[in-house]
Parts: sequence; C-alpha cells; structure tokens
Amino acid sequence: MSVDWKNFEPVLLPKIPVLHKIDVYEKNGGYDQLKKVLKDWTPEKVTNEVKAANIRGRGGAGFNAGLKWSFMPKPDGGPRYIAANGDESEPGTFKDRQIFEYNPHLFIEGAIIAGFAMSITAVYVYIRGEYKDWIDMMQKAVDDAYAKGYLGKNILGSGFDIDMYVHSGAGAYICGEESSLMESLEGKRGYPRVKPPFPAQKGLWGRPTTINNIETLANVPLVIKNGAEWYTGIGAKNHPGPVLYGISGHVNRPGVYEYPTGMSINDLIYDVCGGVRGGKKVKAVIPGGSSTPPLRGDQLEGVCMDADSLRTAGSMMGTAGMIIMDEDTDMVDVLWRISHFYHHESCGQCTPCRDGTGFLEKTLIKIRDGHGEMRDLDLLLDLCTQMEGRTICALADAAAWPVRYTVTRFREDFEKRVKNTVYALA
Amino acid sequence: MPEIFIDNVRYEFEGKPLVLQFMLDHGLDHPFFCYHPSLSIPANCRQCYVEAGTPVFNRETNSYELDESGERVIRFFPKLMTACSLEATDGMVIKTHRTSALVERAQKDTMEFILVNHPLDCPICDQAGECPLQIQTYKYGPEGSRFEHKKVHKPKRIKLGPRVILDAERCINCTRCVRFTEEISKTHQLTIISRGDKNYPAVAPGTEFDDPYSLNTVDICPVGALTSSDFRFKARVWEMNQTPGIDITNGKGCNIDVWTRDNVVMRITPRYNPAVNDHWMPDFGREDIRRMNENRISKPEVLLDGDRIKSSWNNAELNFTENLAGLESNEILVIGSAFSSVEDNYAVKKLFSTLGFNHQVFVPNIKEGSGDGFLIDDDQYPNTNGCRLLGFEELTSEKLTLLLSKGNFKMIVSLEDDLVGRGVLNEDLLKEPYFVYMGSNHNKTSALADLIVPIANSVEQSCSYVNSSGRIQRTTAAKETLYTNRRLNLEMSVGRLDRYGTKFDNWVTDRNRIDCIPAWDFIERVATNLDKQTGYESASEIMDEIASVLPAFNGLSYDRIDDELGVQIIGDVSKVTSA
Repeated sequence: MSVDWKNFEPVLLPKIPVLHKIDVYEKNGGYDQLKKVLKDWTPEKVTNEVKAANIRGRGGAGFNAGLKWSFMPKPDGGPRYIAANGDESEPGTFKDRQIFEYNPHLFIEGAIIAGFAMSITAVYVYIRGEYKDWIDMMQKAVDDAYAKGYLGKNILGSGFDIDMYVHSGAGAYICGEESSLMESLEGKRGYPRVKPPFPAQKGLWGRPTTINNIETLANVPLVIKNGAEWYTGIGAKNHPGPVLYGISGHVNRPGVYEYPTGMSINDLIYDVCGGVRGGKKVKAVIPGGSSTPPLRGDQLEGVCMDADSLRTAGSMMGTAGMIIMDEDTDMVDVLWRISHFYHHESCGQCTPCRDGTGFLEKTLIKIRDGHGEMRDLDLLLDLCTQMEGRTICALADAAAWPVRYTVTRFREDFEKRVKNTVYALA
Repeated sequence: MPEIFIDNVRYEFEGKPLVLQFMLDHGLDHPFFCYHPSLSIPANCRQCYVEAGTPVFNRETNSYELDESGERVIRFFPKLMTACSLEATDGMVIKTHRTSALVERAQKDTMEFILVNHPLDCPICDQAGECPLQIQTYKYGPEGSRFEHKKVHKPKRIKLGPRVILDAERCINCTRCVRFTEEISKTHQLTIISRGDKNYPAVAPGTEFDDPYSLNTVDICPVGALTSSDFRFKARVWEMNQTPGIDITNGKGCNIDVWTRDNVVMRITPRYNPAVNDHWMPDFGREDIRRMNENRISKPEVLLDGDRIKSSWNNAELNFTENLAGLESNEILVIGSAFSSVEDNYAVKKLFSTLGFNHQVFVPNIKEGSGDGFLIDDDQYPNTNGCRLLGFEELTSEKLTLLLSKGNFKMIVSLEDDLVGRGVLNEDLLKEPYFVYMGSNHNKTSALADLIVPIANSVEQSCSYVNSSGRIQRTTAAKETLYTNRRLNLEMSVGRLDRYGTKFDNWVTDRNRIDCIPAWDFIERVATNLDKQTGYESASEIMDEIASVLPAFNGLSYDRIDDELGVQIIGDVSKVTSA
C-alpha cells in the first residue's frame, strides 16, 4: 500500500539550479508566502493552518508542529524565541545539510512565518559545529535576507520585527536535545533540563520558546502556499508531507531523496537507491537514525516509512535517516559501534546514562573480542531495562533501544560470538 | 487540607512541598545524592525514584472517580518519578521502595551504575563513616556488581585551591559543589568538565578554587571526592566527638560542630541554623582550630623580678587580690572584651562594680567594608553587642589611649583581647600599671602582663555570645580542660574512643588538656577571697542571673537558647549603644 511516489515532484529541494541565491529564490516565488501572511493573515490563522496540515516534527519525535506552537502562552510584551534545531548529529542523519546548502531561504521564510504565528522576537538557528561550511552558507543566506528586508525591524512594512542568528554548536550530540540546545545557546554546559517547566513556559533565558527542526520549519511555506489540504494529501494519512530520506549504507546509490512519507522501505532500497550493493540480501535496516530499533531484512515486506507502519513493525520514523546493511554485516560490530557513539556522547548528567552507556559498550567489546559469555546477553538486556525511561532526557533510551532490539532481533549473531559457557547453579 | 498518601499512610500538607523533602521531614528514609535543600534541584543522580500517581477527577460529577470497590482510581505516571523534583498535589499517591518492588529494584539499579566507576576505596577514604554513598549502598544497594571491566580512570589528588583537594574518580557527578559556587557563594569557580563517565568538577585553567566558602563543598560532597587539605587523613569520623558550638572568628556567629579527638579539635563544620548561617560557614572560621589547639596558655604565669614563671592558681589569686587592695576607684581600669562571652564579661563587670571600680570599657574590632553581606561580617569579634548590652563603655582606640595616658591607673584588668597585637594600644601604656591579662592564647598583649590567667576558650566551656544581628547563641564544652571531665559533664559528647578508651590505650592521652578555668570561675575565686562571692557554679547560673537583672536578657536561659537555636534579643541592632 505504498504511496504514489513515482510522480512526486520535490518541493523542499526542487530541481532549480542555484536556488540558494536569494534572487533565484525570489524569482521562483520565494518569500511570496511571507508577504501573503504578513499582509492578510492573523497569527491564529497561520497556527491553525499548520496544525491542520499535521506537519509532524522531522527531528525524530514526530509531534504536530502547529499543536506545539499553540502551547506558547499569550504574548506579554517580553522576548519570545524560536530555536531552530539544525544540530543533526545522529549517525545516519544528514538531511538538514541539504536544506542549508540548496534551499536555505525556504527554511528562513518558514521560520519567519512561524515567528509571526507565535509573536517571536528572535530565531536562533543552532547548527552543529562540524558543519562549518554549512554554517557559513546559512549565515550568507541570513545576511541576504536581512539585506532584502525579510529580517530585522518592520519587515515589509508590516510592523512585525524578527531577528535571526546563526549559532554554531561545539560538537556535542546531546545539544540536539531541545533543552540542552537551549542551555548551549545560553552559553552553558549542554545538560538537558528537568521538565516541567516546558520550553513553551520557560525556555531560552526563562522566556517562552519553541524548538522546531529545520526541516519542519522548511515545510511551513509549502503549507501556506498550497493549503493544509494539499499537504495532508501527500504521503501517509497520519504522517503526511514530503520528507527527506537520508539513505546510507550498503545500497548502490546512497543519498538524500525527497519523497512523500509512507514509502515502502523496499521501494526506497530497490527502486530509489538502486538495490543493495553486489545484489546481496538486506540483513538489517535502521529506519530513522541510529537510535531507532533496527528491523530485520526479512521483516521489511510491506513496512512503510511513516509513524504508524513503523510502530507496528517495531521501530520508529525518527529522522528518516535510514541505514541499510547487507547480509555480510556483523551485527555485533554494528551494535558496538552504535554503543560506542552513545557512550562517547552521553553528557554525564544522569547516572543511568552516564555509567550505563559505558557498561553497555564495555560488555559489547567483551563480546566483540570473543570473550563474551551467554549470560552477557541477558546482562545487556537487563542494563537496557535499567536505563530506559530513567533519565532526564531520552539519550538513555536512544542508547538502550538499539542494544535491546539488536540483541533480540539478531540474537544468532551474538550467540555465535559468545562462548557457550555453562555455569553450574551454585 | 490537601492530603498525600505515602506507602498507604495519609499525610496532610500545606503549600507545594517537594515529595522528597516532605518524606525527609516526616522521618521517612529515602535515598538521594544530588538533592540539597538549599540548592537548586537538578534531579541528576536518579536515586530518589518513587512511583507516583494522582487520582482521576471527574469534572462533570465534581468528584474523584471510584472503582468497583469504592477506592479512588489512581492514574500513575508512566515513568518512575524523582521525588526530589516532584511537587505534591492533593490526593497524590506515592509508592516508595517500602511498598513497590519496581522502585526498590530501580534504586538498586541506579546504585549499581553509580558504583560501576566508583573506586570503592572506602578503607582509605576520608569520607568513610559519614559517606552518603556508603550508607545508602548498605541500605539500598545491590548485593554485588556485575561489572567485570576496567573502571574509568580520572585524575586524583588535584589541588583545586588552597584548601580543597579533588579525587575525580570518587566523584559521582551530583554537581552539588558546582551549584554551591553558582548559587550560594556566587563565585562560579567550579564547573563539570569533559563528558559522560569522564566527567568531573574542575576550575577554569589558570584559576584556583580560592572561594572564601570553598570548604562547604567538602561538607556537601556526598562522597570522598572533595576533601579538605587541612583535615584529610587526620582522623576517622568515628573516632571523633561532635559537639555543637559557635564560630567566634566573626560577628556573624555561624553555628558549628566542633569535632575533637583526644581533646584536640580536628575540624569544624557548619551546623544548620536557618536564622543565621543555613548550612554554610566561611573557611576562616574552620581554621580557628589552630587557636583552639596551639599556643595555649596553660597554668597561671606571674612576673617575678622580671622573669615570667608558671605559678599556682592560689598564687595567682593572691597576687590578684593583693594588688587590688587599697586602690582608689579611679585607679583600676577594667577592659572587657567583645571576643569573650557574655558570662565572662558579666562576671568581671559585676565583681568590679561591687567593689566600686567603674572604669569599665571595651574596644570593638569592626573593620568597615571587610564583610561580604553573606556570612562574613565587618565585625571581627563575636560579642560586640553583648558588651554593649552589659554596659561596658564603648571606646575607640584613640579614646582608650587618651584615657590610659591621662589617667592614673595602678591596675589594668583585661579580658582576652589582643589590644596590642591588633593595634589598639601602644605597648608602653601597659608597662607601668599592674597588668592582669585573662586569656587563652599567648599574644603580644599577654607578653606584657604581670599576671596571666589562663581561661577556657569557647570550646572548653559553655558560654554565650550576642552576634552582630542581635541574636544570642551558646556553645557547649567540646574539649576537656584539666578540670573538666567528659564523663561527668553531661553536656559534653562522648565519642567511641572516649567511651571505650582507657589511659592504657595509645590513642588516649592527657597531653592535650589545658590547665585553665573559665574567667568567671577565676573571678568567683577572687571574689570569694574578698568576701564578695556570688556562689556561681556554672555559666548557666550566670545566664539565669543576667536574665533576671538586665532587661534585654529577660526570659533567657540555656534551655531556651538550645530549644530555639539561639534567641533574637535585639530587634534593631543599630539602636544598641553602651548603657
């Protein structure tokens, strides 16, 4: 029941040369939606339209963006912020980079419209520090938008003011988590905050703040242009819209592809990406970045890339950063590498994550090096139970899920590597 | 009144208490590390898990929904909650480790993780015996560890500052120390560096942790990561006696605990008093242990043909009375001391007033601008207001110098106050008259005395002080003198060594007992010789008398001071002047 993707024309990254230049963007209808909104629309109308479009957050959690906006309290005259999350650091995720490079003004326009809808005074664009070149590109785009009067004071004579700042991260995965992103923006150590209070009540510098993914905001001008009905007509029913699939791994043509949500994984692998390299079989697919549970190759039939279908299959949409692995892959090595990442990136604030991630990795190294024992597999699963849902942010879950589902779904790989030690009961 | 059910027991609460603090206030034991009542709540140790639920309220019927058996339907939070950050709401149901297997397991789980990278070097760790991690591991920890790998190694013995040393491996990253420097001392000197299990607290490169309150971080450290460079490896906590006292290095009068072993003061830690110092005290108050232990005057000393010799108490009394005999009322100057207690000052003042010698003065030691508005006061002495209330004439250094050079004083009696050392008096002024110095420590002033009377200091006797904000607080004896006995004085604490040690054990000696008595006791002996005895047998009797004589002290007694953690006896300090 895959969607009609063959006739889909890209809208987030349309095939227009040098679209990142503001003149080209304007020539192709750029900033028209902003003009329209500032002229005729009320903030409530924007929010309601976006809510009706059901843009589900592209950063991983999949929460309705318009609904999130409506959580903002009434303006009280003080500053209010948007923190646009471009920290994409999850292994397998590299979609926002394309927006920064090829269509930055779409995002900027979307952010300004979102700012209008929520009476925002400033937008912070938080981009991971490793994206040095893309930070420069984004800065250039923001400068251009200022020069044209789309940002700053009294935009297009409407009386609406908004500022946009491009901010570089310093190389921490955890700063992609919304509350530590705010801490990082404030110049503090990237430790996630305890909720409540939620960012809409107390965010950046204690003021109401909404955090949206870059791709989520880039969808906003499209919704304004074509209407919520058009948007909900694309892709899966409960998870509509175009989405940037970042596909990597053992496929012939890896890359970022824009297609509707709800595409069948097999279509993506075999038709979009030209199949698995060397004609091998798929062994495992991680559908949405390394923290989402991997699916077995023989589980894929009929599984589509939308929240409902993936939940049924036992995984999640995440960031749609898919990692495809062929039958030669050793899942012990894969899992060790993923665990190494989370061990390295745990901020160390909460105990279960700080010490649990290390415990997981060290146990996996033991298994990888051939010193593992059967009981270590049970230990791994037990440690996952001890970490899941026990920390301030979701990094402990992100570290535990791959372990839990790799060990349970690919248990034969692990059993092959461990000694068949038998312990006497004593 | 709103109600909360903890382990199936109903409690009532007011306001919006946090569940953990509420449980601790009601004597329900619950494990935690990062929470501290005076600091912000990071909820990072994840130790104080509880299951929490709220009753389902039906807005249409305006009542709680009930199940078939008539019990309220409780909707539990999907995840375990940290009690430290959870606000109590009406009807909330809390399940702790006592009633929930899940919570019990979760607490064990967290403890297992904390111990994964903890060195477990309790036998050589200073914190052992008073370590929340050690205590809670015994109470709530897992039976063993499943961790068979190499622990993370981090730097050890880092000198963070002049007074604090860090063992990063022991650190469990509760961030109490960091939050202390951010929220209480506001120096922002500490932060956590690195990431994940390599985290540990540190100072910025090129700086040091010289916060005037730095040692408080050692107190609140729930493990042995932060240790005091002064105290580390000096004593085990279970060998010491812990006795309440008052910090007398400052007008603030921080409440302290005095820790002694074999009658040597080993360390001083702050004692909680929300009205004065909360949980904190400045570092220099802790360095006061040197004054308590070292350079003490033991046994009276007299000048005999220019030589200073140790003398008997009888001889000291006789010397004192003989020199007193035949003096006119304007020939004696009594210098009280804002460094000495209310009782000592009162006893001195009363004797000389009875004898008709009314030149009774004191010189406060206030350094304008030296305070910080927090726990460091401009006033360098603990009892300035006490001296004012007792009616000593308050003089400046210049006025006292003038008085001494113009007057015709044959005898000067000074209570412990290093007048020469702190630049109040020129030493020449004290050479001519017969000079009696009653003090605990040798100093430049005592060096000039014709008679030195060794008196017990604030940790060797019960005595009270009126602090710079007008609050009277008292100490108890922590350290034995030659004439006091821990087992006879019921106020003194008795630690294990004292209880079970004998003179034949090598850890108990009599070396550290000073031959001194309280100043009021000496004055009483002199008064007896002069037939003016008052019959004082203890400082608390003197306080009872003061309370009946001086209006400001009305209604006071040691019991009341103890019960109320000190009593505010002056409403507006700025209006206090010497009577």
